Amino acid sequence: MVWGRKGDAMSDAVKDRSRAQEVISLKGTVTTPWWAVTAKWLLLLLALLVGLFAVQRLIEKGSWLGVVIVGAILMAILAVYSTRRAIPLKYLLPGLLLLLGLQIWPVVYTVSTAFTNYGFGHVLTKQQAIDAIVANSVQEVPGTPRYAMSVAVKKGTPPSTGDIHLLLTDPQNGTFFDGSKEGMKKLSPTGVQKTDSGKITTAPGFTLLTPREVNQRKDFGDFAVPTGKGTGIKPVGLSQAFEGRATVSYDAKTDTLTDGNGKQYVPKDAMFVPKNGHGDGFSQGWTENVGFRNFTTILSDPTIRKGFLSIFIWNVAFAAVSVLSTFFLGMLLALLLNDPRLRGKGLYRSLLILPYAIPGFVTALVWASMFNQDYGLINNLTHLNIDWLGNAWAARAAVLITNLWLGFPYMFIVCTGALQAIPSDVKEAALIDGANAFRTLRSITMPLLLVAVGPLLIASFAFNFNNFSLIFLLTSGGPFTAANTQIGGTDLLITYAYRLAISGVNPNYGLAAAVSIIIFFIVAVMSWSGFRRSKALEDIN
Amino acid sequence: MHRRAIGAVALMVPAALAMSACSSGSTGGSSSSSTSSTSSASATTPAATSTTTGAPVRDTTADLVIWADNDRAAVLQKYADAFGKENSVKVVVQVSTDVRKDFSAATQTGNGPDVIVGAHDWLGEFVQNGAVEPINLGADLTAKLLPSAVAATRFNGQTYGVPYAIENIGLIRNTALAPTAPTTLDQLLAEATAAKAKSGGKVTNSLLLQVGKTGNAYFTYPWLKACGGGIFGQKANGDYDPKQVLINSAGSIKGATILQQLGQSKVLSTNVDGTNADSLFAAGKAPFYISGPWSIDAAKKAGIKYAISPLPSLPGCGKMQPFLGIQMFYVSAKAKNKALAEEFVTNYMTRDDVQTAFFTALNRPPALKTAYDKVAATNPDVKAWYEAGVGALPMPNIPAMNSVWGPLGQAGADVISGKSTPKAAFDAAQKDIVAAIAKG
Repeated sequence: MVWGRKGDAMSDAVKDRSRAQEVISLKGTVTTPWWAVTAKWLLLLLALLVGLFAVQRLIEKGSWLGVVIVGAILMAILAVYSTRRAIPLKYLLPGLLLLLGLQIWPVVYTVSTAFTNYGFGHVLTKQQAIDAIVANSVQEVPGTPRYAMSVAVKKGTPPSTGDIHLLLTDPQNGTFFDGSKEGMKKLSPTGVQKTDSGKITTAPGFTLLTPREVNQRKDFGDFAVPTGKGTGIKPVGLSQAFEGRATVSYDAKTDTLTDGNGKQYVPKDAMFVPKNGHGDGFSQGWTENVGFRNFTTILSDPTIRKGFLSIFIWNVAFAAVSVLSTFFLGMLLALLLNDPRLRGKGLYRSLLILPYAIPGFVTALVWASMFNQDYGLINNLTHLNIDWLGNAWAARAAVLITNLWLGFPYMFIVCTGALQAIPSDVKEAALIDGANAFRTLRSITMPLLLVAVGPLLIASFAFNFNNFSLIFLLTSGGPFTAANTQIGGTDLLITYAYRLAISGVNPNYGLAAAVSIIIFFIVAVMSWSGFRRSKALEDIN
Repeated sequence: MHRRAIGAVALMVPAALAMSACSSGSTGGSSSSSTSSTSSASATTPAATSTTTGAPVRDTTADLVIWADNDRAAVLQKYADAFGKENSVKVVVQVSTDVRKDFSAATQTGNGPDVIVGAHDWLGEFVQNGAVEPINLGADLTAKLLPSAVAATRFNGQTYGVPYAIENIGLIRNTALAPTAPTTLDQLLAEATAAKAKSGGKVTNSLLLQVGKTGNAYFTYPWLKACGGGIFGQKANGDYDPKQVLINSAGSIKGATILQQLGQSKVLSTNVDGTNADSLFAAGKAPFYISGPWSIDAAKKAGIKYAISPLPSLPGCGKMQPFLGIQMFYVSAKAKNKALAEEFVTNYMTRDDVQTAFFTALNRPPALKTAYDKVAATNPDVKAWYEAGVGALPMPNIPAMNSVWGPLGQAGADVISGKSTPKAAFDAAQKDIVAAIAKG
């Protein structure tokens, strides 16, 4: 019941597949209409084509693990659907694949990230980081001209593969040059035509490339005309070039970088830092495995330890009060509107569902402005002067009020549905036995209602436990105090973890993943005990 | 019955949306700098809450792909088309609601654009992630651009983009309430008191400054800088030095003391924030408003006559100095069409008419000197914005700035609300920031 949503998705997928399945006649013999067979094989062919396309792309990218996984999935699809065997699997496979893609894979990815230092400043591989450092160190050689440039190939060679030649014009004296991978040569001015800015438009013996042709040359991005030791002519766009020099060089043997002043940099903690320990390193770091370091950071960080308990208590209280308050309000309204004598039920129900229909983040922002101490609607209407978002307890109340507004329609819908499913004969029986309305509610309606919505309350608890967007949009976890800007009065573990991991100097996804794993265990333990208790309710049935 | 009920709902929903649009619409304007602490953060809220947004998918048939936010994409489209026609290539401009985040994510997977339009304070992060390509502007082009704009595109001695506009905050005043531009804070307060007395209760605030409960470091900085404080010290080459944090320097504390006094005298309040400041000014509730070009539209629509002047000087300190924000074009390090991308940003986006078009749409002074001179001659606003930013330093583009927004903002808010003293609040902020930077 609680997993209804997931079940629906699964059964939809099964239905889709089953259109291409054999129809089993009542007599027990299997007859399959021709169109169903054709459709089945067409769908299989389609799946195969999509898979092969994916494999091709993965091979281009060099992701062999991906190729293996896609191959295995394709073989599984073929094996299950092309034969008459494995009938249960025919129904299960789509669900299993979705489970794999939407549940298992993110979990695997999160867990694997938790053991790395992946985060801003550490997104590259080591080789990419070195390349970026060297490429970013290219500086214009002082005193060199800025050439006007055209891109050409030798006549007779194809524009897409022929050796690139840069036809250059020195702006100071109008000299023409022909630069290629061999180096710079003077170009005879006879027959050369140029624009006012000096860009060559025709040169004998050369075919000039159009912008599109230049753009399509994948080798053009890294092309430079060598002019001496460590220097080269580099194009800027399509019409200019400059003489540059990489001021940083990398020595693979010693794994060190050397800059223009001869200063050496060595790798440390996935970054290049000065060998002598003085000055700044390069900011381009790389991803590497750090083992359990993220977890030990969480356990040993003084700010985390200090804040954890108070945040945890508020977090549990927030989730529990949110669930109970929304449930009681929703149930109350559902009971009221379930009375057969009430007229205009449809209208009331539509209005009550309204808060649910407005996107939650819009509501949160509207409430945030309504809670403003000087200009907000709430203080203006009530003539109070409560600093709703500046005082920790008031802010907690504000958060709970907003969440009540946001959450009661859901409980209302759920309870309305569950109430209508309770057979009226049991209530009549209670009436005949002499129970009053309150007694009927307490002893008949409530237990039956709780059987249906109990698991939903637990799910709602888990959701509110991690209700990031509400807190973030309403209070950003605040109010804070200047003495402690890390832990706010309404912080949940998830907003706290977010601030800790994402909004530091550099977002640290490895640490964030580690924190989310720990939060997962907390929620899992609490939900598990919750489900254990709700099993007791089922005995009523 | 049911149909009528649905009708009622249908009527209510737009009303509710309109209500929310009124209250939250004003925050969207400050595209770059002032919101950078929160914009990157709010983007990471669960996808479920933002079904209408989402990163664009790179158009694979194009020869040049540009990502920009909604406003800038509208301006770019025309020039992108012209560039495409001139070079017989297909240029595509795609709208991204969060360029910074979308670009970072897409570039890592190799599906990013070739060019993006963004703010200069994203640079440090892009460089350390190897996401942007250095661009050699050349002496000629550099000379045509405002030096402060070029300075902002540099990181560790390398240039990474082409600037097209500058933005900074200034003092906006309602000329009906405050006819003369004050040059000192005391003059400002005297004028505001007079305006309040004359209005008979209609004017409720002397000076609007977006603070909010968690504060706003972007608007706190000018007060610190006026008294010789600031955020980071500078290295010899002009780069900001993350090892010199000036948050609790004597100058910063002095500036914070002025904030404390203004908070005590109810001039500044933590109840004024990004969601209501624009509308308060547009409603004629305050004679003065410290904000940027993005805050003008609401006042314009409301028919408020306004003028812009440089920020005043503070008693016992110097002139308040805002941060400069530079808007620029970046070329992706993973650009599939690097040659066209570089050509587009260096030779096309630095044209007079392009930079003028950006000004017309976005109200920011152009970074190209000739374009600036042209628009400044006809538009008093742009001249005033520019002059309010003269002598100002670009906002730090080093990644360490990420850890400043929260603590410094809170310190400012607590001093204004009276929850803390300048010394205690700014010492605590300093400690937090230094610790965060050390952690890396």
